[in-house]
Amino acid sequence: MISADLNIILPEIVLAVYAMAALILAVYSGKDKLAGTMVWATSALMLVLAFWIGTTGEGSNAAFYGMFNDDPFSRFAKVVILVSAAAVMVMSEGYMQRRGLLRFEFPVLIALASVGMMMMVSAGDLMSLYMGLELQSLSLYVVASLRRDSAKSTEAGLKYFVLGALSSGLLLYGASLIYGFAGTTQFSGIIAAATEENISVGLLIGLVLLTSGLAFKVSAVPFHMWTPDVYEGSPTPVTAFFATAPKVAAMGLFARVMHDAFGNAVSDWSQVVALLSVLSMFIGAIAAIGQTDIKRLMAYSSIAHMGYALMGLASGTELGVNAMLVYMAIYVTMNVGTFAFIMSMERDGQPVTRIDALGQYGAKEPGKALAMLVLLFSLAGVPPFLGFFAKLAVLRAAYDAGLAWLAVAGVVASVIGAYYYLRIVYYMYFGEEPDEALDGGRSPVLMGFLMGSAVIMLVGIVNMFGVEGAAQAAAVALVN
Amino acid sequence: MTQTSSLLPIIAILPFLGALVPGVMIRAGRTACAWFTAVPTILALVMLGTLAPGVMEGTVYTAQLPWIPQLGLEAAFFLDGLGLMFACMILGVGLLITLYARYYLSGEDPMGQFYTYLLLFQGAMLGITLSDNILLLLIFWELTSLSSFLLIGYWKHLPEGRQGARMALTVTGAGGLAMIGGMLILGNIVGSYNLTDILASGDLIKADPMYLPALILILLGAFTKSAQFPFHFWLPHAMAAPTPVSAYLHSATMVKAGVFLMARMWPALAGTDAWFYIVATAGLITMVLGAVIALFKDDLKALLAFSTVSHLGLLTMLLGFGTEAAAIAAVFHILNHLTFKAALFMTAGIVDHETHTRDIKRLGGLAKLMPITATIGTITALSMAGIPLFNGFLSKELMLYEAAKTTWWENPWIVAGLATLGSVFSVAYSLRFIFHTFGGKVRDDYPHHPHDPPFGMYAAPALLSVLVVAIGVMPFLAEPIVAMAATAVTGTPQDPHFAIWHGVNAALIMSLIAIAGGIVLLLLHRPLDKAWLATPRPEAKVIFDALIGAVVRATRWVTETLHNGAISRYLAIFTAATVIVGYTAYTMSPLGPQTREMLPVPPLVGIGWFLLVLATGLVVWFHRMRFAALVIISVIGLMVSAGFVYMSAPDLALTQISVETVTIMLLLLALHFLPKETPVESSVGRRGLDAAIALSAGVAIAGLSYAFMMRDFSTISDYHLANSYIGGGGTNVVNVILVDFRGYDTYGEIIVLGIAGLAIFALMETLLNGPAGARLRNSGYNNDRSHDRHPLMMVVATRLMLPIAAVVGVYIFLRGHNQPGGGFVAGLVISIALLMQYMASGFAWTTRRQRLEYHGLIGIGVVIAGLTGMGAWLAGVPFLTSWYGYVHLPPIEEFELASAALFDLGVFLCVLGAVMLMLYSISRLARHAGETVNKEPMDYDPSKAPKTFQNRAEEGL
Repeated sequence: MISADLNIILPEIVLAVYAMAALILAVYSGKDKLAGTMVWATSALMLVLAFWIGTTGEGSNAAFYGMFNDDPFSRFAKVVILVSAAAVMVMSEGYMQRRGLLRFEFPVLIALASVGMMMMVSAGDLMSLYMGLELQSLSLYVVASLRRDSAKSTEAGLKYFVLGALSSGLLLYGASLIYGFAGTTQFSGIIAAATEENISVGLLIGLVLLTSGLAFKVSAVPFHMWTPDVYEGSPTPVTAFFATAPKVAAMGLFARVMHDAFGNAVSDWSQVVALLSVLSMFIGAIAAIGQTDIKRLMAYSSIAHMGYALMGLASGTELGVNAMLVYMAIYVTMNVGTFAFIMSMERDGQPVTRIDALGQYGAKEPGKALAMLVLLFSLAGVPPFLGFFAKLAVLRAAYDAGLAWLAVAGVVASVIGAYYYLRIVYYMYFGEEPDEALDGGRSPVLMGFLMGSAVIMLVGIVNMFGVEGAAQAAAVALVN
Repeated sequence: MTQTSSLLPIIAILPFLGALVPGVMIRAGRTACAWFTAVPTILALVMLGTLAPGVMEGTVYTAQLPWIPQLGLEAAFFLDGLGLMFACMILGVGLLITLYARYYLSGEDPMGQFYTYLLLFQGAMLGITLSDNILLLLIFWELTSLSSFLLIGYWKHLPEGRQGARMALTVTGAGGLAMIGGMLILGNIVGSYNLTDILASGDLIKADPMYLPALILILLGAFTKSAQFPFHFWLPHAMAAPTPVSAYLHSATMVKAGVFLMARMWPALAGTDAWFYIVATAGLITMVLGAVIALFKDDLKALLAFSTVSHLGLLTMLLGFGTEAAAIAAVFHILNHLTFKAALFMTAGIVDHETHTRDIKRLGGLAKLMPITATIGTITALSMAGIPLFNGFLSKELMLYEAAKTTWWENPWIVAGLATLGSVFSVAYSLRFIFHTFGGKVRDDYPHHPHDPPFGMYAAPALLSVLVVAIGVMPFLAEPIVAMAATAVTGTPQDPHFAIWHGVNAALIMSLIAIAGGIVLLLLHRPLDKAWLATPRPEAKVIFDALIGAVVRATRWVTETLHNGAISRYLAIFTAATVIVGYTAYTMSPLGPQTREMLPVPPLVGIGWFLLVLATGLVVWFHRMRFAALVIISVIGLMVSAGFVYMSAPDLALTQISVETVTIMLLLLALHFLPKETPVESSVGRRGLDAAIALSAGVAIAGLSYAFMMRDFSTISDYHLANSYIGGGGTNVVNVILVDFRGYDTYGEIIVLGIAGLAIFALMETLLNGPAGARLRNSGYNNDRSHDRHPLMMVVATRLMLPIAAVVGVYIFLRGHNQPGGGFVAGLVISIALLMQYMASGFAWTTRRQRLEYHGLIGIGVVIAGLTGMGAWLAGVPFLTSWYGYVHLPPIEEFELASAALFDLGVFLCVLGAVMLMLYSISRLARHAGETVNKEPMDYDPSKAPKTFQNRAEEGL
């Protein structure tokens, strides 16, 4: 019994043991000397794990009496999480190395956060949910303040921690209410207690409090306030990480709780999620307009994008989950490319994040500017790039589920949101030559990710990036 | 009749494949490059040619390739009359532009790049006309925006192009995105995204409640693309692009995409009141407005741009009428406008190319210097004016005829009148184009001396002007094409006949008025122009900039208000939002009646409750005075402990009170190094708001708890109560839960506690060795201290209490399994006893008597607990399965031996070690800062003491 259970969570165990072993090794081998190697080793291990999970997993298995699920849904999310985390780490290595930021804790913390995230998307119980969530969050709090000598970075980490602790508290309060009224912490038990006809008010309040806590993790409005500050304050590679894997994990967890535990009471939460979605889309789009810092802008962009992903979830259907997963996979790919570009923005070796520093960039670096243009259009959801298909999928899911108002609101928000993405394009091609133009930033690794991601945005439309089938299977596994 | 044709996808993809070529072929020279650009266009034209006879006979060709069926997206193409006409226009003009650009672009311009973009754009436009799936159409639609953006941005060095490009991008991009929503709704109403299905379900669509939103969203896309009022302003500003681009995009093709879409969707959407009032009105306003502004533009291209806006308005208006006759007129005018306007743009380009200026005020008299160009320009401009014998006249006549028949809001005159007014201005600016550019005397101050360009450059406009005259004189030439396209637009067979002379009717009279009025206007141009310049008028660009500026400012304000970086505000929003959603959930479902009676409240309990509430309130009130706040917090802890006692939970009370004591002591130590008061940073209003939010959250939680407690609920307590003795061999349920039922948790927790202790130690170590340590040393910590010795009373008392406390600790530990107590509490009790020694006798004194390292204690504790757990393996049961038995030793009573007790020992050691290590770490801060009083122990051993004055006196010294 126990060996079968352990077998199911073997990938998580491998990664966790690796992280701890790496920690000890680094401590006894002169700390940061091995950091570069460790980044590559961790990424390699994650990719191997992703490959392993992606190719060998089959069917739905539950471990530890249903506390932990291994099904197509969790495998889909895990592959996206691991691949994106590995990609971000590889991108960061050079950037951090040159600025003396690369500490051995970085890959270890990312690995631990990844274990937490894998746990989150597999959770089958409020306990394992919380365990995964906290492992991830605690690692992220530390990573956010990785640049210890920078007041901004420290402040970002502290703010993130305080608000995160509050949200965890809310989540726990909700979880305990749910436990109190359902009599169990297992999703399979909760779903039996929480049916549309006779959901008790205690469960309902537990549900909304849980939702609030989860909304914080996906940075949905009005629980999003930490996002701009943390995105801006953290070192860029960390921001890139925040914008990718944790978002997938949080959305995955969100979907899991909503469908696995409250799948019989869709109408009770879909309105709340729809509200979160519409607020996120609009605040994300509107607040980004006035931004001058590209990292802060990307924070609002991520808020808006989470709104769209939530739209898929709000539909409460299999199609919705499918759309949400596709959306997240595409979103992560776009973000990896965009952040590769942001990391390559520098002048005299110092990172630059002001948008107007991009003036006339198209004339100087036509290739990079074009790749960024593709990514920005894709982020804005302009056809024919992949981002459009992602948006289309969630809009359709919402529309089909009878949330026509939400779909129309989503379209209106995307019109507003397009403005700020196109503003960057405008600066690159028509802006005035800035006094302090960018130079350097020709790291082949970053270029590879930027170009690769841009090409995927264009070529991926042939077969929806190849994730459609897997997302379909994942959605079926979750919603039924 | 429908027929499958595999040629269609090939035609659609050809320009995209072709786009790869020019970039390579530019190395073989400019002419070769142009030729290779022409090849895919010609090929596509030839293929269309093979299909054309079939389409003329009414066949609709289709082709489907599966793409992403889940999204309703398939690569479906179809070719009908409308599609064929537009496709031929796009490819034909594309070919002419290719030729023209070969001569227009100078040697320094990267021509390969230009042709690549051109072909990309051509492919996108072609895709729009051929798509049979509205999602596919959307894709091509946005591709035109994108590739046009690349083309407009082609001349990067022109600063005035920047603003224009930005506006074009913003307006058309936003419109296209809005259209996505419209298309989505449309597809959902019909249940299919195929255009043929949608066109066949016009009645269904118009009856649907979502018709109006869909219509508005789709029209937003069409109006922005075709520069209809109130989005007309971007087009003239996009004219900074090179002239071939302007000619191709802004007159012939891209801006017609909106018109094409309206024509395409005509059977599905047109014919309702909403359609008429939105589309026809916007078209009418655009037509008049564009014509009026065009007359007062001095830049040749700007004049033509506003004229294009005006003609697009005309087309929109005709489609908006919703009658078949108007649709025919629209199709005919599309064709005519294409021929004369493209030629006019190229003419303007030639003038610019030759004279290096486009300012009409600096031109004139060019007829003598460049006669060929002048001829072409005059012919096409006359057509634009609507002079008989040129093709523009024919379609304008049809338009006026339709306008005269149309009533707007029960007023029969308004459309006709405004249409005539627009025509008057149209004649005026056309004539101005002719006379002010080519007419008049030859000047000697051209920036560059002009002459006719090489043949290649004027070949394209010349060909178009031949068409202008040919159709103008022999209108039947255009009939089959118009019939074919109009059939496709209206969905019913059409067989129009055009003639130059219709007899004297309203349209002719309106035309004559227009020509006469136009000539008068031109003669009065100089005073009118002065008056125009003198009158203040809304400048679209200024309004757009102001609007965008206002929006940006507004959003900045929103952002700065919401995200000002202050965590207190974030917390406030967070809390308020939670309360609101929680309240919503509360109201969503009935709670049901109360099932429990309120228990009686004895006075003592009431007082305790009141104290608790009062203390909580006081903490908030006094939170700036940190010491006072800490004291009040300890009151709260005490009341909670008392509450546990009252509720018959002595073990919880014991744990609570010991934890409370330890934490307060540690906090007191930490308070040493912090300011005594928190500074006031917030305004009264802010505090008031925060208080309201906090109160509402507190009341919500309290209310919730009350509501739940007044109703029956089942808990798992019963299970534990029933099983603690049978399963765990203990009667203290809390302890059994800790060390048995949830032993694994406890094992984890003691490790965490240990790590916390170690982490505090490690952090303090780093801190003291770093720059912060140096700052601490120089902080003058001791200056305001009294240097009093430790009070003797306390020293004595604590020393006496130490053995007693130790015995109590051991006692509590031993009774733990069955009575209130246990390792955790015991650890805390012993810690408190030791803590008191540190406080009373000083750090140095206590440390000197310390035999054990606290680190070690933690380690031993964890190891013991772990080994106990592993012991279970020896018995072949899982980790931490507890075992207990009863042993009877004669001198003592029978007593119980449980493996859990050993585990509890681990807990005890770990707690003790961790708490002491934390204390040790924090107090190191003080010693580091230079506190000296602790170095003087209170032990007074007279034999060892240095001799005092009195001693010496006694010894006779």
